[in-house]
Amino acid sequence: MESEVFSANSGAIVVAHELKAPLSLMRQLALSLELEDSKEGVNEIGRQIAATSERALRQVEDMIKVARLDDALFEMEPVNPRVVCDDVVNELWKLFQFNRRELKVYYRNRRRLVIANPQLLYSVLYNFCINAMNYGGEDLPSEIIISDKSTDRIRVEVRDYGPAIPTKIWREIRKGLVGRPMDISMRPGSSGLGLYIAAKFTNYMNGKFGLVRHRDGTSFYVELNVSGQLSLV
Amino acid sequence: MKKVFVIEDDRGWESYYKRILRGYDLSCFHDGVEAIAAMDEQVPDLVLLDVLLTGPTGFAVIHEMRSFTELEKVPVLLVSSVEMGDFSKEYGIAGYLNKATMTPRSLLDMVKYSLTEATND
Repeated sequence: MESEVFSANSGAIVVAHELKAPLSLMRQLALSLELEDSKEGVNEIGRQIAATSERALRQVEDMIKVARLDDALFEMEPVNPRVVCDDVVNELWKLFQFNRRELKVYYRNRRRLVIANPQLLYSVLYNFCINAMNYGGEDLPSEIIISDKSTDRIRVEVRDYGPAIPTKIWREIRKGLVGRPMDISMRPGSSGLGLYIAAKFTNYMNGKFGLVRHRDGTSFYVELNVSGQLSLV
Repeated sequence: MKKVFVIEDDRGWESYYKRILRGYDLSCFHDGVEAIAAMDEQVPDLVLLDVLLTGPTGFAVIHEMRSFTELEKVPVLLVSSVEMGDFSKEYGIAGYLNKATMTPRSLLDMVKYSLTEATND
């Protein structure tokens, strides 16, 4: 049913809208190179273009994955969420730095492996982190926290210290109303595409997608089934 | 040095404005509420305002600004990535820049022009 609601046409519009912002920024940055006279400034612009384009490419790759979910191309396997979190942090720290943000990781889980697809779990956490970066308060970190939810579930959450999520959006996500990006758009300029992607991938991995409203921010989380296999990592 | 307030919630764009407009005394804000509060302390010579903000939109910010006598004539340059109609008369804005088509030079020119116009008024 979701594919009917989020039709190919509306999907294309949402993706185009999401990609317009980074493309516009990259264009501006490229044009600003001719006004830059210091080598340090040129290098910084180059780094910002690279970080912005990597984020845009990631969204395109995620949308391709969404389109291919029905083809069952993504096998489920025992995955160490700590390793996936480390990879996400390694990719995103530059972008967080450009945005004067900090990303911290806390490992509080005793059980090691979950049943997931590493690519999809990576995308879920990546989108949570981008969301946290956009909404997090100035000089306050975003946090990735891995914890044991129960004997058979591990929760990986990304916590921000930004403004509280609107009640309407909170209710819609709690009800599972993530049929299309616009349903969970949290600000006028955003389509909610990242959260839509995270919800789709979590659902595919038989996980639970949710959020917690705090007085000083929001946590988005994914809960995944623990694997019985021992981690060798 | 002319005081310019930038109201922009995307840090990538904020960083870009800081680089291009370094000839001005720039203060950056991520939402309109924060910016309006700062205007209570210091009246800017120009406001560069993103339309689609977290919280109140750019238009709500202009509306709020115009309700204060001391902010009534502060020129506002609207910047957005969405196509806009001609709101200049209705909202009394100095100009509009499209993020997808503007250039660093056109941004600099528009800021300079708006500040000159405001001084002439």
